[in-house]
Amino acid sequence: MSGLVTFSGVTLGYGRRTVLSGLTFAVSEGDFLGLVGPNGAGKTTVLRAILGSLAPLEGTVARAPGLRFGYVPQRDQVDYNFPLKVLDVVLMGRYDRIGLARRPGKDDRDRAMAALEHVGIPELAGRQLKDLSGGQKQRTLIARALVGEPNVLVLDEPTNGMDLVSTTQILGLVRELHERDRLTVIMVSHALNEVANYVERIALVVGGGFRIGSVDEIMTETVLSEMYGIPVEVDSFNGHRIVLARRFGAGEEAGRV
Amino acid sequence: MFDAVMLFREALYGALVIAVACSVLGVYVVLRRIVFVGAALAQLSSAGIALAMFLSGAGVAAGLTGHPVAMALVVTLAGALFFGMEGGSRGPVPPDATIGVAYAVAAAVGILLIAKARTGEAHDIFLQGNILSITLKDTLVLLAVSVPVLLVHLLFYKEFLFVSFDRETARTLGYRVGGWNLLLYLTLGLVIAFAMQFAGVMLVFNFLVLPAVTGLLLARGMAGVFFWSVTSAVVAAVIGFVLSVPFDLPTGPAIIVVSGVLALLAWGVRRLRG
Repeated sequence: MSGLVTFSGVTLGYGRRTVLSGLTFAVSEGDFLGLVGPNGAGKTTVLRAILGSLAPLEGTVARAPGLRFGYVPQRDQVDYNFPLKVLDVVLMGRYDRIGLARRPGKDDRDRAMAALEHVGIPELAGRQLKDLSGGQKQRTLIARALVGEPNVLVLDEPTNGMDLVSTTQILGLVRELHERDRLTVIMVSHALNEVANYVERIALVVGGGFRIGSVDEIMTETVLSEMYGIPVEVDSFNGHRIVLARRFGAGEEAGRV
Repeated sequence: MFDAVMLFREALYGALVIAVACSVLGVYVVLRRIVFVGAALAQLSSAGIALAMFLSGAGVAAGLTGHPVAMALVVTLAGALFFGMEGGSRGPVPPDATIGVAYAVAAAVGILLIAKARTGEAHDIFLQGNILSITLKDTLVLLAVSVPVLLVHLLFYKEFLFVSFDRETARTLGYRVGGWNLLLYLTLGLVIAFAMQFAGVMLVFNFLVLPAVTGLLLARGMAGVFFWSVTSAVVAAVIGFVLSVPFDLPTGPAIIVVSGVLALLAWGVRRLRG
């Protein structure tokens, strides 16, 4: 496994404000990493540094030559007022390959259709994006990320606002893409319970702290209680890990395990 | 009626150029939710014209400072640069409030400058414009500005679309989103600065917003939105002329009312389609 993105002694922030410091880790080929933490903890900051749209305040972020990301934004980041068909949206994933001021050709359209088949929605190619369900929209955005033939698939809160069925289907699809295509995946989420049962490694970003390791290393009561600052229980049910914040009894205080 | 309209055919040609250019750019203005940037730029353009008139009347104009088109261009492009670089959107003041400030101040400054300009006409000319005054030479100038702008938009359609639809993903694919936004705003400023000379704030704002709304109501794809936007702008301009010239109505407001009726009809069609 070779390092696709390598953080060495990295401090991240905006202007003079430091968000996270001392980050040293690598995302390797074939990795399936969950970048997890509560909203506002700095997940997006780490993500931007991985993608290269945020320069580190200190340290270095090295990317493998020719590295290409397939980015799946949060669904509400996309403007559904645009009257765009699903196929048109998927084609956007090839715009940089098509080149400046040139139009998509038959080959691009064929690849876009193949990407839609890959995510299981070829029949929706001619439909308006805004008319789709949340799960179908997310599949469209994943197809757009795949059509550019990326080395790394990056998903930002892919299940945000989805119901249980759509959440399970989307996470299952991402896992399938990782296993079937050996695609390196970075998935950003605030929902530890969802992500922990799908990814292979977890990077936890909580309250200015950062910890990365295998799911087994991170999903322990000691690590999670320390990171979140509240007593946490990790249980297992039918092979699924479930994280629960321990209920406080009378006289107990937050932070006491 | 036809003879009366033909009497002002040169003005109609100019109005059609303005209608086409503004209705194409208007699709981005409406979809990107920056309609008030269009209004603010039009108002800044009018302030530029007023400044040129004031300087010229006061006898202090040097070089291009007494030329209304040049000053309108300078002030409007400065505004386009400011809004295109997301000026005022990073501080504690919401971006739409910054646009509101620019609109209100530019309008007031324009009126004050005209009030004290010796060569100025009544200030409502900026609001209503004087579209019937367009000559063939003016139309050629409008074409010289509009055709290159429309070619840029035709050539870089997919780039403008991508950065407008999903800027974060465009950025990860290596697009210089800030640069494309700036180019979009500068083309907008250029068209507005020239269109404002004849059409006035109200009509320019109309051509930037109402045809695009009609297009969005009627079309199911981007090509259709552009088609219906341009078609409805042209139809509104022609009908506005046909109604206003023989019946001695102000042409700008007549065009705007027709644009409104077309948007209403489009809304009706949309409702019928379900």
